[in-house]
Amino acid sequence: MTELLRMENISKRFGSFYANKNVTLDVQEGEVHTLLGENGAGKSTLMNVLIGLYQPTEGKIFMHGKEVSISSPRVAVEQGIGMVHQHFMLIDDMTGLENIILGDKRHSSPLLQEDADRKAVEEIMDRYGLEIDLDEKVGEMSIGMQQRVEIMKVLFRGADLLILDEPTAVLTDLEVEGLFDIMRSLTAEGKGIVFISHKMREVMRISDRVTVLRRGETVETVRVADTTEQELADLMIGQKFVENTYKKVTDATKEEFVLKDVSFHPEIKHGGLKDVSLTIHKGEILGVAGIDGNGQTPLAEVVTGLVKPDSGKVIGPDGAEIAIFSPEAFIDAGLGNIPEDRNKMGLVGDMTIAENLVLKQTESDQFSLGHGKWLKMGEIHSYAERLREENDIRCTSVDQTARSLSGGNQQKVILARELEGHPKLLVAVYPTRGLDIGATEFIHNQIVAQRDAGCAVLLISADFDEVLKLSDRIVVLFEGQIMGTYSGANPPIKEISLAMAGK
Amino acid sequence: MAKKALSPEERSEKRMMILTPIVAVLLALIIGAIIIACLGKNPFEGYAAMIQGSLGDGAKLSKTLERACPLIFTGLCAAFAYKCGVFNLGGEGQFIMGGCATATCVLGLGLEGPAGLALGLLAGIVAGAIWGLLPGIMKITRGLNEMITTIMLNYVAMYFMEYIFKNVYSDNGLPKTVAIPQSARLPEVLGTHVGVILAIVLGIFTWYVIFRTSFGFKIRAVGMNPIASKVNGFPVRRLVLLAFVLSGAIAGLGGAVELLGKTPYRLADGFGSGFGFDGVAIALIAQLNPIAAIFVAFFFGVLSTGGTMMQSVIGVPTAIVEIIRGLIIIFAVAGMAAVKLPKIKAYVAARLDARAKKAEVNA
Repeated sequence: MTELLRMENISKRFGSFYANKNVTLDVQEGEVHTLLGENGAGKSTLMNVLIGLYQPTEGKIFMHGKEVSISSPRVAVEQGIGMVHQHFMLIDDMTGLENIILGDKRHSSPLLQEDADRKAVEEIMDRYGLEIDLDEKVGEMSIGMQQRVEIMKVLFRGADLLILDEPTAVLTDLEVEGLFDIMRSLTAEGKGIVFISHKMREVMRISDRVTVLRRGETVETVRVADTTEQELADLMIGQKFVENTYKKVTDATKEEFVLKDVSFHPEIKHGGLKDVSLTIHKGEILGVAGIDGNGQTPLAEVVTGLVKPDSGKVIGPDGAEIAIFSPEAFIDAGLGNIPEDRNKMGLVGDMTIAENLVLKQTESDQFSLGHGKWLKMGEIHSYAERLREENDIRCTSVDQTARSLSGGNQQKVILARELEGHPKLLVAVYPTRGLDIGATEFIHNQIVAQRDAGCAVLLISADFDEVLKLSDRIVVLFEGQIMGTYSGANPPIKEISLAMAGK
Repeated sequence: MAKKALSPEERSEKRMMILTPIVAVLLALIIGAIIIACLGKNPFEGYAAMIQGSLGDGAKLSKTLERACPLIFTGLCAAFAYKCGVFNLGGEGQFIMGGCATATCVLGLGLEGPAGLALGLLAGIVAGAIWGLLPGIMKITRGLNEMITTIMLNYVAMYFMEYIFKNVYSDNGLPKTVAIPQSARLPEVLGTHVGVILAIVLGIFTWYVIFRTSFGFKIRAVGMNPIASKVNGFPVRRLVLLAFVLSGAIAGLGGAVELLGKTPYRLADGFGSGFGFDGVAIALIAQLNPIAAIFVAFFFGVLSTGGTMMQSVIGVPTAIVEIIRGLIIIFAVAGMAAVKLPKIKAYVAARLDARAKKAEVNA
């Protein structure tokens, strides 16, 4: 094997803060090299140095053994480095081919050379088994195919080294398999891949070596063959990491929230619900397992009052059928909601942390005089300070905008707000998506504590590990239907995974 | 009230937000001076005349205040709507409809005295609110873009007013209405009609509503993130509609005040013309802060009354003032966008750091 890339003692300083300090990374030809680390460990900074967005404060970069200075993203492309971003940089209204050849400067002619380019693209597609419908508009493609377009863009520009930034975060399990096949065929041809992921199981499956970063520094580079998931987790967070297994509740009987034969656009397989019946008991976590896009979003929308089901009954905490489907009515009835997309649905990013914490309570006597006629700013501030303390929200001030927080701290703000109201029903949708282990632990602990305090919890998550870890009972959602209900204590994992695949 | 502990970055950001419009004004005045100099006149003399002509004595000051008064209303109208994410460009139409309703109420019903005054103001508010409600309904039910509908409604209002002053309450067939009777006009205090005080009080009240009430809190939340507002149980559609109605009502009241307070006390061609868009500019320069909008509107008043004086003293066209005003808008908006750029932020932060260190050394 020959060396493709070596980054030697890279440091990147912002003010007095080192985002990277003496980081060393090398990638061989034909290797998948994973970069592992919590949020803020310095992965993004290192990759931004590599693709020329940042200039390193110190350190050297070698490509094919020769020292290079990557002064701009264009130089990175010339050096054969290509990045597939987590959030795709594609133009929805253009076709796959147009997106791929967009901005490429291989021809001297000012006219488009679509035919020649199409041939070149098809050749690459054949070689690596990348299936793309070149004439379909990107906006109409599946997420998996959009990602393949991104990969193709990079390959078309002659990349030898591909950086894949959390590529599996947006994919279904089946699509992940497809991606792994492509990665394997790329490495078989001698390409090198830097793979960034949080998902330990995937890391173990696809990588050759793993470099662990912690607080901007390299902890260690290990061969996957010589390590275990547990060891990697230890390296990553720096202390002995004990998988917290919670006590499972098996004797909850008081029905808090019931769905009876609820349907919502049942004709849509991946965006509807068909005759869904489920019961959430007081003091119990009901986990909804399933591959992303099998009805999780409409289910969450029904149980939070955002949409009215086409048919079926929803029975609320007081035992009466719910007639009005609106978030207001559900909140009044005791709903706490950790929504799917914290930036879009959970927080008002441009408002302060304090304002977000009191979002639903500005009319209460605690925070205002005369039901909202005069806000008690001092009271709001000290309340926010208290919640910040209790929930370990890391910020310089509760008067900074919610947008300026990291994802984990944003989620803590939402959690603090929702739980402070002591909800009867807590709906948590993908509550730890994209968060590091520390924040994930905190949020899991809070959810379980809420259950122990007598709250009924509905957990909807595409992260199977999370569902297994937290749920007292598990239902499986597939194509908008409930496939079965399983005990959360000693769950029959094999059976559940079959149900998730629709068997 | 507890004192807010702001981080240094936020303090510097706040300072930048206050500094930007001031710098924009200075830059615009400097460029204005260069243009005046290019015309072969003395800019210092010109600006002196401008200040003399707008603030020189009590009478001039009250003229400036009366000139600023409608702009305060339209500025507040825009600021309030934008806070709720509603891009109401119809301040002018709502202002004009307010004036029309007031005229109809006072002239049509033949009301005089305080009753005429009170009902006239009320009619202005209601008409403005309705003129704001229409695009609101169109947006909420059919999803029509309010930027387009409100501009269209400005034209409807303008031609409607023309119909009123030409055909309905025309003064002996002249293209203007008969004047509002003396007894129904706004009383004067210290040489200025009380509408100015009303405008200032309304500005402070609007600030209070937006920043110190639960209603204003929700309006701001909806303006910044309607989806999160909905998920968190706010009646988003109702709030948006209310923002349309209330901002229209503010402009409508402005139209009523203008008609009842300012000579010639009649509707005629040009009534309210340009006030809507000046209001938009004022709201943007004031960064949607209602109290700041009062000051910006006053400054616009200074420019326009002072501009006339400048013209007569040094003999440059009043178009210079229009240019200065345009430049202020461009610099202020561009400046506000610029201070949000990361590089400029970093530069300012570095400067502040250096200054803090210097202070430490000196101490």
